[in-house]
Amino acid sequence: MTIRTAILAIAWLVPAIAFGQGSGPSAAVPRTPDGKPDLSGLWQRPYVPDMTKSNKDQSQIGTADLPFTDAGLKSWKTYDAANGDYTGSCLPFGLMRSMNSPDPIQIMQSPKYVALLYEQNTWFHIIPVDKPHHDGATPTWFGDSTGHWDGDTFVVDTVNFNGRTRLDTIGHPHSDALHVIERFTRTDATHIAYEVTIDDPKTFTKPWTNKRTFTLRTDWEIMEYSCEENNKDLYDGHIKPPPR
Amino acid sequence: MRLKQAVLVAGIGLLAAALPLVAHHSFAAEFDSTKAITLQGVVTKLDWMNPHIWIYLDTKDDSGTVAHWQCEGGPPNTLTRNGWSKDSLKIGDQVNIDGFRSKDGSNTCNARSVKLPSGKSVFAGSAEDGGPNKRQ
Repeated sequence: MTIRTAILAIAWLVPAIAFGQGSGPSAAVPRTPDGKPDLSGLWQRPYVPDMTKSNKDQSQIGTADLPFTDAGLKSWKTYDAANGDYTGSCLPFGLMRSMNSPDPIQIMQSPKYVALLYEQNTWFHIIPVDKPHHDGATPTWFGDSTGHWDGDTFVVDTVNFNGRTRLDTIGHPHSDALHVIERFTRTDATHIAYEVTIDDPKTFTKPWTNKRTFTLRTDWEIMEYSCEENNKDLYDGHIKPPPR
Repeated sequence: MRLKQAVLVAGIGLLAAALPLVAHHSFAAEFDSTKAITLQGVVTKLDWMNPHIWIYLDTKDDSGTVAHWQCEGGPPNTLTRNGWSKDSLKIGDQVNIDGFRSKDGSNTCNARSVKLPSGKSVFAGSAEDGGPNKRQ
């Protein structure tokens, strides 16, 4: 191997390792009959309880210093989960906290729709492709999403949140002005590079991002997850329901 | 042999530096990361249900007084993927549990480590929720 070849090899390997891909360019990206990268499958994801942190293996890279507005900082500083973490009541986690959960997701893809099936609490979220946002729709926990292909990257734009959720388990805040942009790029046969941009002018002075790597698990199947089944924490009164 | 109840409430410092969180809800919503606890007792019941498994155990102090405890474990789906099942722990098994007490002062804990007298850990691998000491 020449020095130049070695340098090129390192230049290729470093970003691959940094994002936890660990497979070479020969690992072809599967494609659907319409030629789009196929995102289908059951994906293991890094747990992201705090979007400001990064994992040591770089499988998740957060934004350390969030650019809070005054209102955003106040919401963050005054938050105390002991006063009622809505997830403890099995209320919908919402988009970001579902994406941050440690449980796998199943992605199902067609030319017109992409569906994310979250094992966490057996929720799902449907993303119409190349459709406009719904006009005047009631704000929801998971928001109103629309997707489009930017080359080989599937971009999901989500707005119209109800503002009742938190971004992550530790409780980083957002408002009803939250605008989430997610980018799914299947980088090889077994990985998706996921990048999410948090845009919320009421809470943050500028958008910020979080990156992570999903890993295909052909040896797993999605499992039923009923949060209400035995939620003793709430039923026995050890935790408080969230403020209404 | 009389079982010995060992309840150790640690002060500031022990295991408290790490971020206390669980997957289903925030750790801080229910448990106190400054109140570490060690329990030795006999398993009386196991709930293998979502969103968390629960282990029920009886402990005895030196005078023979029995205390009933319940400790929250990891989510059964994660535990199943790590090779555990509802049969991994049986009623009557003696266990040592390290965890953290609930804030409400009841005999409730969040289990970070469950070990049999042999030292074998049961339900290891449920640390995906990022709680204190990564033991849950």
